[in-house]
Amino acid sequence: MIASIARKEFSEIVRDGRFKWTAGIMALLLLTALAAGYQKYSAHMDIQRLSQDQTNAQWLNQGDKNPHSGAHYGNYAFKPAGPLAFFDNGINNYAGTALFMEAHKQNFAVGRPATDQSSIGRFGDLSGAMILQLLMPLLIIFLGFTAFSGERESGTLRQVMSMGVSNRQLLWGKALGIGVAVLLVVGICALAGGVALSLADLSADNESLGARVALLSASYLLYGAVFLFLTLAVSAWAKTARTALMVLVGFWAFAGFLAPKAAVEISKAVHPTPAFGKWMADMRSHQMRGFDGVPPFVRFEQEAADIFAQYGASSVAELPVYVGALRLQKFEEYDFPVFEEHYGRLRDSYMNQRRLQDRVGIAAPTLPLRSLSMALSGTDLIRHINFADAAEAYRRDMVLKVNNYLATAASSFNTPGSGTFVADEAVFAMVPPFEFKSQGLGATLSEHAGNFIALLLWLCLSLALALWAVRRLSVEED
Amino acid sequence: MKRIIISHETRQLFRSGAFRSLLVLIAGAIAFAAWSGQRSIDRQVEGANAAIAFEDSRRGRMRADTERYEAQVLAEGGEYQFASARHAPGAGPPQGTNAGAVGAETSKYLTMPATGLASFSIGQSDIQLNYVPVSMNPTMNITRNNELENPVNLMTGAFDIAFVVIFLLPIFVLAISYDLLSSEKERGTLAMILAHPISLRELMASKIIARAGVLLAGVLLLGLLALFAVGANLGSTDTWARFGLWMSATLVYTLFWFAMSVLVNVYGKNSAANGIALAGTWLALVVVVPTLVSLLATTIYPAPSRMELTTAAREAQTAAEKNYMARLDEYYYDHLEFVPEGDERAMDFLTVAMSNRNAIDKAVRPLYDEFQAQLNRQESLVQRFQFISPAIMMQLALNEISGTSADRYEHFLGQVYAFHEEWGEYFTVRFLQRYPLKPADYDQFPAFEYREEPFGTVLMRLLPSLLGMLVLLFGAILIPFLTLRRYQVATS
Repeated sequence: MIASIARKEFSEIVRDGRFKWTAGIMALLLLTALAAGYQKYSAHMDIQRLSQDQTNAQWLNQGDKNPHSGAHYGNYAFKPAGPLAFFDNGINNYAGTALFMEAHKQNFAVGRPATDQSSIGRFGDLSGAMILQLLMPLLIIFLGFTAFSGERESGTLRQVMSMGVSNRQLLWGKALGIGVAVLLVVGICALAGGVALSLADLSADNESLGARVALLSASYLLYGAVFLFLTLAVSAWAKTARTALMVLVGFWAFAGFLAPKAAVEISKAVHPTPAFGKWMADMRSHQMRGFDGVPPFVRFEQEAADIFAQYGASSVAELPVYVGALRLQKFEEYDFPVFEEHYGRLRDSYMNQRRLQDRVGIAAPTLPLRSLSMALSGTDLIRHINFADAAEAYRRDMVLKVNNYLATAASSFNTPGSGTFVADEAVFAMVPPFEFKSQGLGATLSEHAGNFIALLLWLCLSLALALWAVRRLSVEED
Repeated sequence: MKRIIISHETRQLFRSGAFRSLLVLIAGAIAFAAWSGQRSIDRQVEGANAAIAFEDSRRGRMRADTERYEAQVLAEGGEYQFASARHAPGAGPPQGTNAGAVGAETSKYLTMPATGLASFSIGQSDIQLNYVPVSMNPTMNITRNNELENPVNLMTGAFDIAFVVIFLLPIFVLAISYDLLSSEKERGTLAMILAHPISLRELMASKIIARAGVLLAGVLLLGLLALFAVGANLGSTDTWARFGLWMSATLVYTLFWFAMSVLVNVYGKNSAANGIALAGTWLALVVVVPTLVSLLATTIYPAPSRMELTTAAREAQTAAEKNYMARLDEYYYDHLEFVPEGDERAMDFLTVAMSNRNAIDKAVRPLYDEFQAQLNRQESLVQRFQFISPAIMMQLALNEISGTSADRYEHFLGQVYAFHEEWGEYFTVRFLQRYPLKPADYDQFPAFEYREEPFGTVLMRLLPSLLGMLVLLFGAILIPFLTLRRYQVATS
């Protein structure tokens, strides 16, 4: 029985001219979005790889100079786009792409592509993810809002019920019929995505691509199912088709447009992001007065005797290493806790905002899906933070290596007037090139368990609503 | 008769619970948007003030050093000298006398003041800081974007009044007018009403006037309240002129959506079909077309990647260093504090460092100009394509009205670049002449004051968007008006 209801629902939808139109437009948009996304993604990745190679080469060929000057010259970390960025570009347009790694300073990534775009870019990216998150639910609503209410208005509901069909059978049959029709459209996307994936040589990144795609598909299926059962629930509950439509479109606009922005504003109000000027002034003043109130210059004077003692020396003249290099490295290390405190404060505000957004997200199924989609595509905030962390770890290691080398190589430069030490540029090869390894899929999943649960809760809720609504289904218009 | 219908419709509207809750919703949304828009502006002001205070305090310390030094010279006799290098604290002339050190080690933050209506449309102001540092560093560092906001928040975009007007208001308009005629027709009351001495056009107009009147009165009143709550410079005519423009733009944009409703009602079938058509139109005009236009602009005129710009600047830096610095101790380049006192090389060092910055600026300039040119091409493509979506026109118009448009920012940057030259020149000349800066000179440093664009320029940029919306509105009114006479009153 369910099968024949589904078949009737499906063929009715597919034969409708409106379906052909909406499905056609949606498929066209999807293909456009995926093609454009793929083109942008591959262009970005080409430039990223090229730039990273170039900057590494620049580091190695920076000329003969004092090694510490080499550390000032520094190196850049360029952020790769994330394995499925062509489907969901996530925060990539709004997060920096280039992070300068230099002596004495921790930097954050700069160069947000969004600043190099027309202001119209703020309407959003036309991406595969955007279409599935916003347009797919609307398609489901359009196809399903008349499922019960329309039949009631045309009087066929009474006939169907008189044939001994149970309410639940009717629900499952209709869900199946509409679901297959939607999948027909979305299937094109999956196919196109698959083709793009096989064209792109992405597997080299070893980011468990197959698992990501599978989980992504599962999340979007869940999301689609939520809207499907909500639509059927409202269609069964509402007295007229137009009421059903208005309620559903209202909810869709709330979930897709209002809720994300409201969640962001609320999270910013509760956990404000520091303003750049304030944050910068705080951090640099803190650096100048020293982490615990002793300025670096003073602190080095205080600690000098102990530091010299480690080398069995009591004065600069007795030191077996270059004192300038020792001082540079110490100054570097005095700043670590300052950076950790202030960058930590910034990151805490991001993470607290994210947690709050996830919690508010329970109010609208689009929010947890959006987070999941970005995380699985490798275009989310956590990956960006991981990237910044990797760059900072690299920076510290780079400076340490260079200063250590300078300490031993320039050990004869301790007497005043001995000039400065110049090393052959070949020594810069002691710092290996920067390479970003993202955290595995496992870590991503455990961070987003809550979002999966939120989606599942939404599915249960929508199913329960649908079952409740069909139980009290009345065949009569009032 | 018309008056009766209007007053009847108005009373009916207020009696319907759905409409009352819609009004509450929109009032809540505008209040929330005003509050969050204001928070965004406050955060900018807080950041700008802190940055300015920090850099001023650093220059203030240098000045205090020179005052002490001046007093010492006066007391002990001797010459007020120029510090060629950084000394151990307390010995010799202080660094504050060295124009090169003051100009290179401290920055001056320049700000573009927010307009009175800035919180109404955040525009790009959340990613393009309205305060930028100017020093003797290369030009590239000025526009290096320092905004710290969480990228997720930036991606989601601001919940400002522009968002409420562009995205939410049309939904409310459609919700109260999608079944304007169709519902009467479905209930069978339409034929009865038309039995009275009233034409279909008049009936339609009366219904629209009732709805638009109530909704617009509410929205414009709320806008006024928002202005009093979070607007700035309420005493200036500029703010009120901008608010007047905001009201006109909102009026035209909202009426356009009412006209769409009428259009669909005239051609449409039943209420549900009208609902679908209008929701689809909203989606197409407000969501799909703007993202498509943006995609088109970035595909046809892709901005060069910042990554390429970075590596190119580095290439120039290396080349400059290899040429000019070969004979010098590069070590001093990074550590002025270690330059030995009285060492002539210190002088050379700063000179070379300056010529170095010039070399980088010169090498990067063409790339940078290409960047800006590409952006301008994108912007002009958007200008041309804006006419296919009222949402794009409205967004451009509101950014312009609020002073958060790309053009105003470019106007600001133009002044910043000019000031960068002036500031750099002031310190370079004095440094090269080895002129010792005195405390009084600190008051003579170049000052920056943002010159606002003439209001006429703003109007001229605004005109295409406003006119485009007006044309769309008249088109949307005219078509149903002409075809309304063929409308079938009874369902066949």
